[in-house]
Amino acid sequence: MATVTSAAQQPIRALRNWAARPAVATALILLYLAVVLLVLRGLDRRHLWFPTFSTLAFPAFVLSPFIVMSAPISRRLKTILIGGLILIAMPLVGIYDTSYLELAIQICIFTGLALGLNIVVGFAGLLDLGYIAFFAVGAYLWAMFTSQAPTVINISGLLVPAWTFPIFLIIGVGIAAVTGILLGLPVLRLRGDYLAIVTLGFGEMIRVLARNLDQPINFTNGAQGLHNVSPPPIPEIWTSFTSSTANLMGISLANVTPVAQQLLFYFVGVLIVAIVVVVARRLDDSPIGRAWTAIREDEVAAIAMGVPLVKMKLLAFAAGASFAGAIGVLYAAKQTFVSPESFSLIQSISILAMVIVGGLGGIRGVMLGAAVVTLLNLQVLKNMSLQLNALRQMDFVIFGFHVQNWPTQLEPAKYERLVFGLLLIIMMIFRPTGILPEPRRRIELQHDDVVTDEDDVSPAPGPMVGAN
Amino acid sequence: MLLEVTNLTKSFGGITAVRDVTLGIPEGSISAIIGPNGAGKTTLFNLLTGIYKPTSGQIMFNGRSIVGLSPDKVNAAGIARTFQNIRLFPAMTAIENIMVGMHSRLKISVIDTLLRNSAFHQQEKAVSDKARDLLSFVGLLHKANEVSRNLPYGDQRRLEIARALASDPKLILLDEPTAGMNPQETVAATQLFRRVRDELGITVVLIEHDMTVVMGISEHITVLDYGQKIAEGPPEAIRNNARVVEAYLGRRAAGTHQEESDHGDAA
Amino acid sequence: MASVSRGLAAPSWSLRLPPAVRWVYDYLLYPIGQMLVFIIGAAVVLTLLAYLLAALVPEPRPNIILADQISRQLPGMIISGISIGFVYAMIALGYTLVYGVLKFINFAHSEIFMVGSVVGFEIMRRIADSGTLQQWNPVVLIVTVVLVSMLVSGLLAVLIERIAYRPLRGAPRLVPLISAIGISFFLIDFVRATEAITRNDFNLRYPTDQLPWLTQSVALQFGTTTVNVKPTSFIVVGGAVLTLLALNYFVNGTKLGRGIRAVAQDQTTAALMGINVNFMISLTFFVGGAFGGAAGSLFGMNVGTVTPYVGFIPGIKAFTAAVLGGIGNITGALLGGLTLGLVEAFLNGVLVYFPALGQRYTDIFAFSVLILILIFRPSGLLGERVDEKV
Repeated sequence: MATVTSAAQQPIRALRNWAARPAVATALILLYLAVVLLVLRGLDRRHLWFPTFSTLAFPAFVLSPFIVMSAPISRRLKTILIGGLILIAMPLVGIYDTSYLELAIQICIFTGLALGLNIVVGFAGLLDLGYIAFFAVGAYLWAMFTSQAPTVINISGLLVPAWTFPIFLIIGVGIAAVTGILLGLPVLRLRGDYLAIVTLGFGEMIRVLARNLDQPINFTNGAQGLHNVSPPPIPEIWTSFTSSTANLMGISLANVTPVAQQLLFYFVGVLIVAIVVVVARRLDDSPIGRAWTAIREDEVAAIAMGVPLVKMKLLAFAAGASFAGAIGVLYAAKQTFVSPESFSLIQSISILAMVIVGGLGGIRGVMLGAAVVTLLNLQVLKNMSLQLNALRQMDFVIFGFHVQNWPTQLEPAKYERLVFGLLLIIMMIFRPTGILPEPRRRIELQHDDVVTDEDDVSPAPGPMVGAN
Repeated sequence: MLLEVTNLTKSFGGITAVRDVTLGIPEGSISAIIGPNGAGKTTLFNLLTGIYKPTSGQIMFNGRSIVGLSPDKVNAAGIARTFQNIRLFPAMTAIENIMVGMHSRLKISVIDTLLRNSAFHQQEKAVSDKARDLLSFVGLLHKANEVSRNLPYGDQRRLEIARALASDPKLILLDEPTAGMNPQETVAATQLFRRVRDELGITVVLIEHDMTVVMGISEHITVLDYGQKIAEGPPEAIRNNARVVEAYLGRRAAGTHQEESDHGDAA
Repeated sequence: MASVSRGLAAPSWSLRLPPAVRWVYDYLLYPIGQMLVFIIGAAVVLTLLAYLLAALVPEPRPNIILADQISRQLPGMIISGISIGFVYAMIALGYTLVYGVLKFINFAHSEIFMVGSVVGFEIMRRIADSGTLQQWNPVVLIVTVVLVSMLVSGLLAVLIERIAYRPLRGAPRLVPLISAIGISFFLIDFVRATEAITRNDFNLRYPTDQLPWLTQSVALQFGTTTVNVKPTSFIVVGGAVLTLLALNYFVNGTKLGRGIRAVAQDQTTAALMGINVNFMISLTFFVGGAFGGAAGSLFGMNVGTVTPYVGFIPGIKAFTAAVLGGIGNITGALLGGLTLGLVEAFLNGVLVYFPALGQRYTDIFAFSVLILILIFRPSGLLGERVDEKV
């Protein structure tokens, strides 16, 4: 690396070398995890600054698997630590405070979605701005067949029992994949930027359909949405397991069922994400993945070398969509309420932001991006609002500013667009490859002569000889 | 005849880039298509490989019509090509480029891919072995894992030929394969073309400007000018053909001096 | 590639006319004639289609004779179609100009339009707050509002290009596109935050209720039917026609316009010819943005209330209009905008009589048009077809 080392850098470098030793690294990691868990345990909900503290502590915990992953420790230890964090520590933290469990489920949902979108945008290079539509298809699938709303399915007595949930997860995969192919078929001939706008259009169309298909026959219950959607049944043994775990931790749960249910959703979410990761990895490292890369880098050359463009692009659309379908089913069952407004453009953009922030094309990066952006959106912004309210009620004064005078409409939780927008701009300008760049992406995005067709190259304006 | 083109015409709006061209390529031959800039040579290649659809005319390959087939189907039928301005997949390694070239010969199964069963592993092993063979055929085995954009120019040209060979073609179309090469590289490249035919038995058609290469290697030459065939025959006949000389010299005298970069080919 | 080169300009046949006559023909008669042809053509076609529908489905609801309803509403539909069509055309120009020069879809243009509508509100509101609104001469007031929103939106567009697009020139296509999406989202919430801080409200009501000349409908007599037309419709159409004429003169009759056309055709050559490419690109963004701003304030006066979210739907419809006409082509933007506006007005007028459909799907309609054009004729009505060069 650096050949010239100044005197000031030497201690830093020594420290770094010291920390890179496996034993030291292991100790440091364990220390870090212990501190984070103790802080999470020790936070007091009634404290004035609780929202701020919790915003600092929980992300430190959620991001710890990524820290472990990049630490210079043995592979086996990494697996054990990450497995322990995800399968044991997180559920325990979640039982201690269910709001963390809720966040963890949301992170699973968005990680799955981001990984699915990454297949379309990252692997195949097709910018899909209507990705949320496939999520909506999955969610409406489960909601339509279990909601108590006065839909035609309910009235004709076609509702399904809640235990069919696992079957519907699989049906969701199939239906969403078919939707992906149907939507993809007409648009695949389009060039990148047109494709983006048309997929945006499709996304909006699905939302408008969901809002309006309460007439003439009521399928979706229109703008009111489908309420009283069934969650999957919880086995008795799972409930008792949850309460005994809580007892072991010294917590007596007043109402076990919701916690057990959330815990179940969390594990289903983790399972889905694990499957998605394996599927995405295997697709990427195969002739299919190579064909996608080829299409992304030079469509004309790819088709001339025998890569069937339409088939491969449809496969990308279908694969990406299928994940979203299954996750949609999970989402509907968890929320027990589905309405058209949950599937707007901003959701598609937020998932895109996760893929971009993490690193287009890379699986680990996209997972990190999903965790970061979800936390930012659902925890940081929300807690800023909560903190603001807490301070407002106290009539807190900071630097002579009365927090009470903060405009009520300036509610941080409602400014996701600002955050996503800034994230996208900043990433594109300063680090288009994301926080954890995928190696090939770095080559593709590094210089400006990678572009495929000749129209793409906007030549750097030559020497400017005076204005006009 | 491996390839028979009959009355092929392609117009772009008002401009006719290829007009009523008829030609035949015998199996196992090395042929060249030559002509001044803008004569329609690359357009002809694009028609043969399905990138453009002909306005009229017939293309028979190996006994069946390939008009209207998409480029990937043409490739699967046995025609592979290289591009005038090299179009490798820039961020893929040399070996990966070749593996993509094999796509039309592979069994692509999502289920095998997801299950990672023995069928998948066997195919991947075969793909990687064959890619190595091709790399060593063009002398690039030691650069298998280099990213293709970082390869020197001459290596990129050779890699593009290896990628085209990966689909086991019967016919390979080389679009100005020695453009931008120095004399030594040109000699080596010419030897490579000959080995493609002699060792692999693949019919070779090239578009070329370097007359030493054309006259030295090709058994059959077709001359295009303004989209029309103005002459064909063995090298000696072409060398002495008055119309060909006029097409080249007349144009050059008129002040077209873009010999190396034949960019105005397609409309 | 379709380019901004010709615009509304008259074909340059070599008639020997005196320069003044030639000027009037090139920059007044020809473009106005063209607009009239587009309007009349689209209106006639749609009227025929509407009556055809009435012939096929004479009575969509009991006791409702579709043909009679159409006859009664025809003038109203045409007038509202024209006024919304001009708004679409003005926004579409912003997409088309930028596309013509940079081959890039300026995703944030709908928000530049939105900022124009908010700026228009701010000026009117401030004048109203100072209590002098009624004393303003109507023409001066409208010109002031429109010009200031043009200026602000134009400068904003230039700023956006500087910050978010220029550093990304030469990167793969997805990169500036994603940056543009980011800008679009950022602007929505930025405006919302600004209004939240200054007014604690972002439903922005133009103070039009203080201006009777702006709100009292004018009754127009068409044969036996009377149509009440909002004066703002006239203002929108008048404002749009004037600014479009100015644009035509600018692009085809000035040195700067020639510079933009040169950059649109070939940046490298333009640069070699001594044209400052960056300046021309900024200028293009300014002009496109200014049109978005003008459309925004005219739209705001017409609808009365705007919000930071007001840009999305008109934006996507205007983009559809631009693609419909042939993106990159100025005449195409005008044709596409007017066509789309009229189609929409007709659909709104006719679909109400079909119980299962109603007006709820009109927004989907624009998307469907967009998708169909992109699939079957991506070059639009006036664009040229091009094969990719290999």
